[in-house]
Amino acid sequence: MKTIVTFTFGLLLLLCSAHATVDDALSYALQAAHPYIKEGFTVREDYWGGDLPVKQQKAIVQQLFKGNEYWFWMGTDVANAKISVHIYDAEGRLAEVESWNNKPRMAAARVVPKVSGSYYLIVEIVKSPLERTHWALAYGFR
Amino acid sequence: MTTLSSTARSVLRKKSSASRFLRAFPWKTAALLSLFGSALLSPLGRAQGDPPRTIDVGSLPATVVDEVVIPVPTEVFGVLDKLGSPNWHEVLRPVKIENLGKRPQVALLLGVTIAEGFIAVEAQEPEEVKKIGRQVLTLSKAIGVQKSVISRTQSIIEAADKKDWKTIRLEFDGASKDVKQAMIELEDAQLAQLVSLGGWLRGTEALTQVVTKNYTKDGAELLHQPAIIDFFERKLDELNPRLKSSPIVKKIARQLPELRKLIEPAGSITPQKVEKIHTMTAELVKAISSQE
Repeated sequence: MKTIVTFTFGLLLLLCSAHATVDDALSYALQAAHPYIKEGFTVREDYWGGDLPVKQQKAIVQQLFKGNEYWFWMGTDVANAKISVHIYDAEGRLAEVESWNNKPRMAAARVVPKVSGSYYLIVEIVKSPLERTHWALAYGFR
Repeated sequence: MTTLSSTARSVLRKKSSASRFLRAFPWKTAALLSLFGSALLSPLGRAQGDPPRTIDVGSLPATVVDEVVIPVPTEVFGVLDKLGSPNWHEVLRPVKIENLGKRPQVALLLGVTIAEGFIAVEAQEPEEVKKIGRQVLTLSKAIGVQKSVISRTQSIIEAADKKDWKTIRLEFDGASKDVKQAMIELEDAQLAQLVSLGGWLRGTEALTQVVTKNYTKDGAELLHQPAIIDFFERKLDELNPRLKSSPIVKKIARQLPELRKLIEPAGSITPQKVEKIHTMTAELVKAISSQE
């Protein structure tokens, strides 16, 4: 019985910790977004998140509309990690008009879609002291 | 490139006859020129560390995240506002909630109602916004997730009094996220997808109404949303048999492939196709609202 309780408690702790770190990653993504809110960008409440090993990418398919301008902001809770986000159109061409990842725990990319349709967001942990690094990606539009 | 230059330099330094030349040679400038030249001459013309200019979307270099974030109606309505001045009062429809049906229908109706909230904001109708805010609460209660949206609806009502449209948009977006999150926590994630689907159907109905009235190619191209239709088709297919057997869910599942055909290929959405999509989405929204 004691073993089961300890195991369950440990599992809960692990789950809470994993959740907290994605939340922390999101807080950095939103921190990256902050200056752009002043420029009129509306930040969506929904976001993507998870954890990744170094150099492994994740692709997100997202619908974007011509006539809007979008910023995608990525964050991580790991202090010395370097992360990146890039945007490709449905044909696989790099579509972003600018991107940066030179701030601690943050990266971002901006796109002004030439057509309405599906776009690919490629996120990556470029380097990190940890085996797996939590990340979160938020976006805003205007 | 810099490393190679240093290695070459250390080897050359051993040769005494060249030492004077080596000391006089501007190595730093040469290294910089060499780096600059290689960047210019590389096939993609990009510096080391830049992302590739193209990727093969047929075999992505990454695993694909299953979740698609469904755009809020404002993302589309904002573009329509830039293209012209739609009459949002004409698009706004009072939502009536009578005799709620089963959970799938309520979830879909919740999505439709939240989308109506965005239309009411476009029409700048504070009383309608407040009414919709209360209806969101009623529907959330019917599927046991009202706790998650109480503060959101309160905020919507307060912001409507102040005509603070920006806050209302954010709160409707937040309400949608919160009810879905609450459903996931109640192990009802599949029901959460129906909220998104209901909202998308009403948003698309509104979009096609505006574009039918004043057709522009750019306006029609807003309907080119293959990733979203694919996502919903996939999610409906994954529903458990109980939800899948719901008449309204079956009806929507039958229509999605037809809608998918009408929006492809990109750049081909004619006024006739817009009208057809409008008829189909309007019928589905009506069916959701009337428990057909």
